[in-house]
Amino acid sequence: MTTSPTVTGPSPSPSRRRDAVRELWHGLSGRFAHLAGRVHRTWRRSLQVRVVTITLVVSSLLVGGFAYLIADKITSILLENAKTDVLLRLQNGREYSAKQLSFYSTPQEAQLQETIEGTVNYLAGGDPQQTNGVVVALTADRYTGIIEPRSSSDVAYRPLISKELRDAVADGNVAHQIRTGRLTDQRSKYLVYGSPVPTKFGQLELYYLVPLDRQDATAADARATVVATGVALVLLLGLLAALVTRLVVSPVRVAARTAQRLSAGLLDQRMVVNGEDDLALLAASFNQMATNLQRQILRLEEMSRLQRRFTSDVSHELRTPLTTVRMAADLIFAERDEFDPAVARSAELLQAELDRFEELLTDLLEISRFDAGFAMLDAEPTDLVPMVHRVVDRLAGLAERAGVTIELDLPSTPVIAEVDPRRVDRVLRNLVGNAVEHGEGRPVLITLGIDQTTVAITVRDHGVGLKPGEEKLVFNRFWRADPSRARQTGGTGLGLSISVEDARLHGGWLEAWGAPGQGAQFRLTLPARAGDRLTTSPLRLVPADATLPFGGPRDGGGPLAIGPGPDGALAIDPAPVDRAEVPS
Amino acid sequence: MIRRASRAVAVLLVGTLLLTGPTGCGIPNESEVQVDERGPSVVAGSSSLRSAEPPNRTAAGTDPDAFVRNFLSAAAGEPDRAYQRVKQFIDPLERDRLQEKQGSEIGLTVVRLRDEPVITADVESTKVRLVVQQIGLLRANGTLVPPVATETEYRFELDTGEREESNGLYVRNPPNVLLLSDSALREFYQAETIYFWNSARTRLVPDQRYLPLSVPAERRVTDVVRWLTAGPSDWLGPGVSRLPDGTNLINNATESDGRWEVNLEMPGENDQRLDQLATQLAWSLPELQGPLELKSRNQTRRVIDSLREHRLANLAYPISDSPQRFCVYEGTIQPLAFAGEPSGTVPVVTTASQQVVSAALARAGDRVLAAVVLAGADGRQRLGVGGGPDPVRIAITSAPYDAIGRPVWLRSAEPHRPYGLVVADGGLYRFGADAQMEPVPLLNAEGPVTAVAAALDGHRVAVIAGGALYVAAVNMDGGQVGLGPARRVPVSLTDLSAVDWSGENTLVVAGSGGRPAVHQTSVDGALETPLNSDVGARVTHLAAYPVNPVVSISIGTLMYEANGVAYRSNPFERIKQEQVLLTPQSGTGQQGNPTAPFFFH
Repeated sequence: MTTSPTVTGPSPSPSRRRDAVRELWHGLSGRFAHLAGRVHRTWRRSLQVRVVTITLVVSSLLVGGFAYLIADKITSILLENAKTDVLLRLQNGREYSAKQLSFYSTPQEAQLQETIEGTVNYLAGGDPQQTNGVVVALTADRYTGIIEPRSSSDVAYRPLISKELRDAVADGNVAHQIRTGRLTDQRSKYLVYGSPVPTKFGQLELYYLVPLDRQDATAADARATVVATGVALVLLLGLLAALVTRLVVSPVRVAARTAQRLSAGLLDQRMVVNGEDDLALLAASFNQMATNLQRQILRLEEMSRLQRRFTSDVSHELRTPLTTVRMAADLIFAERDEFDPAVARSAELLQAELDRFEELLTDLLEISRFDAGFAMLDAEPTDLVPMVHRVVDRLAGLAERAGVTIELDLPSTPVIAEVDPRRVDRVLRNLVGNAVEHGEGRPVLITLGIDQTTVAITVRDHGVGLKPGEEKLVFNRFWRADPSRARQTGGTGLGLSISVEDARLHGGWLEAWGAPGQGAQFRLTLPARAGDRLTTSPLRLVPADATLPFGGPRDGGGPLAIGPGPDGALAIDPAPVDRAEVPS
Repeated sequence: MIRRASRAVAVLLVGTLLLTGPTGCGIPNESEVQVDERGPSVVAGSSSLRSAEPPNRTAAGTDPDAFVRNFLSAAAGEPDRAYQRVKQFIDPLERDRLQEKQGSEIGLTVVRLRDEPVITADVESTKVRLVVQQIGLLRANGTLVPPVATETEYRFELDTGEREESNGLYVRNPPNVLLLSDSALREFYQAETIYFWNSARTRLVPDQRYLPLSVPAERRVTDVVRWLTAGPSDWLGPGVSRLPDGTNLINNATESDGRWEVNLEMPGENDQRLDQLATQLAWSLPELQGPLELKSRNQTRRVIDSLREHRLANLAYPISDSPQRFCVYEGTIQPLAFAGEPSGTVPVVTTASQQVVSAALARAGDRVLAAVVLAGADGRQRLGVGGGPDPVRIAITSAPYDAIGRPVWLRSAEPHRPYGLVVADGGLYRFGADAQMEPVPLLNAEGPVTAVAAALDGHRVAVIAGGALYVAAVNMDGGQVGLGPARRVPVSLTDLSAVDWSGENTLVVAGSGGRPAVHQTSVDGALETPLNSDVGARVTHLAAYPVNPVVSISIGTLMYEANGVAYRSNPFERIKQEQVLLTPQSGTGQQGNPTAPFFFH
């Protein structure tokens, strides 16, 4: 990332090594991050892993704590017993020694040494082979040089009696300590007990050194047993948790898979019901839900189908009498000059309303055709520039009446796209008509843009504009910005709905932008080749002169493109640089 | 957040557990010193006063007499420090000349001063000359064995002490032995009697030991038990049985609340041996009255609630407590009567033709044993023996001898096979109920045997051979009475003529110390006391009733004959005719003196 090894110039070996280390570090950390990511993913995705892990951790804690307590208790009991035993022996030994030594009133007496030796041997039990390693020692720290310390067996017991213990005993206390040392050929732990022995001439010290091998072995045995039991218990619990979770999770997984299939449209998917437990209840409920949903969906589909059929039928049925009425009305209209003016005016009104009625019927039929799915795309390579001209020409009269000038921003070259010309024509007519109608006398701008794969046409007006949220509503059937306003001027209320369907039939987009007081802009984006997928549009939906409610992205000064983002959200992106510039 | 935190806590806990688990619950390798309780505090020195220690070097000041006396008692006391004590008296420059021995080899040369020390003042130093009689060697184990040294005099010098650093006298050129005078032995030692079972284990035989007075009283029991386990004195060995080999006292005998505890290691112990040991201990420890616990290898085997009761129930040897005095009067045995003493009838029936010279009577159960020396018409003497219930008849006599001394019965012998000893024509003989006299060899003794005396226990005899006193143990090996090697008893008297036992370990001996005298001496000759330094004439016959612990009130008493006249002790006076209780059958005229007095018990 930073300094690559391909950098030219003198590269000293330390830096190279540092680089290598960094590389290694990066590799390792990368691998670790990868591993952590995988673990995390597994953790998030698998309920079983989570339950088993939690069970293992919690049971390890509990069992571990319990095992620790038990092992600790066993050890302390063993140790306490040993201590009690030794203390008792020590007290008896002290009494015996005191009695034996009470015959001597000076430490110099020759038989004293003999008595000390005899006492020590007696206290150790006589035979050194049968003392279980217990060493009894009688020392005379206060009479060094006068009285030789004696021990029951000829071993170097001195290092096992620490200075602290010796001080405590010399101070007149019965004290003990655990020490580790080597008296025999193996290293063992020793419980060292010491007591002062009062004599007529002063104090001697009696020590018992009792090996704790047996206690240690017993404690280790107990510990091993407890640990083995604990580990087995934890593993068993983990296995149990895995089994139980699997028992619960596998039906849930089946349910999830079934639900996925259901949502994919396979409405006859059902779960297998086994037994009568909660999971069976879940499966049964799920199946019931699926059945109900299926029934409801089928019913709604049927209803929708009936409705569409009804609309279509009504439209068809109305057309026949309307033709007759039309013929009669045309006749009356043609003869209107002969009627008195009021009747003539009625004839004109009749003619106009019949035009609208006919138009409405046509639109209704078109809509019902879309709804029924009968709409077919009849695509052919078409030059869009003449088409725009044609539409503008056709609406010139209307524009003139409304006092609106239509400006065109079209490329000079032909813009060829595989489109259904009839439908694109209809869409453009609708858009331009609406713009003229709502233009409030201000100019309407039509822009044609193109790139490699898409073509786009925007129609901009500077009328009242759209309130926030109305960008979607404008495409609804019979939607009206102001419901109180009577439908007097033009339009059937179905034009934009049909246009949207037309655009969708092409695999294109029809979008609207508007702001109160800033007018509105509609953009039609179509793939240049039929069947292609749209990704971007060569033109922006939001016009360059529009004031955004927030100023952020505008600061950059660059043009912005607003298009459909993921999940149907609007996305504002910097406009592609290689956009086809459209000369005005 | 909470989930993450709980996970972190869990990880931490597991980590701690894994770390502490293996180490936390074992027996630690090391631990702190923990004080359990306060130990007993030192008892403030209640050490017994050492009044019995011999005086030290400076105690005598510059008095050479006292100094020499102190020097001769310096070795007294516990043997392991004897050299140290003696060396205090020796000139520091010459202390090396006294070669030290160790442990059981330490022996004190016990001497009896034949004269006052000869102290001659010289120019440079004072010369001392000691004329001594070697008595024996006092071993560390308390026995006094026959002397090994043969010196009859010791010479050394006294430094007059013209030194600046110290005052008082020093011994220079010291003898290379630890000298101990008999008076120091008497003063700083106590003679102790311990008992061993005889070979048949039927009665106890006393043995003598010396215990320094400086040994604390509490250690006496220990020492006595050690003596018992070590075995009897050498001369007594053939007559007694030892404790099993390997018998040892484990540590010291201890006392708590008046109850003594003796812990022994005793191979081959059994109930009988333990009972016997208990009796042995009871008699060897006469000053103990209370309970005694006998342990074998820490196991309590015998508990004697009262040693006093035990002694009463188990006599050391059978003895009747009322000795009756008899004498020979007019050729017959006649009882003697003294005020306050019991007297009885004569348990022996002699015929008119039997001229009794001397007699020995002994009780053996309800039988009476009688041995009389009869003077024959031919001027020769025969030994007549009789046994049976009172009165006994002398039926059997021995072969004739020129002169037969007073016979003695050995009280240890079985009642149906009694044995006695008698001296005849300078030889020692044994006799039985058949009155057959067989010579008994006596080892280590030279010269003609002139007197024999048996102790109360019947296992020791005192013999005068060649004018010297010997003691020997009696053994019954092969069913015959035999004597062990004799041990010479050095006494100050010479030309000994009569002997008898006056106590368990004391002898009364008559001889000449310039003048005829009767002395009492210990069985090893060390403690000699004159009883009567001038008896006027040679004692030809001597009988004593021994002091003994078996009979609770026993007063030692003594009768002897010198120059044909009988005397008694307490006070020493002549036994008169009036004190002879004449039996009716011998109703002749009252002439002559009572002779050959003896005790019947």
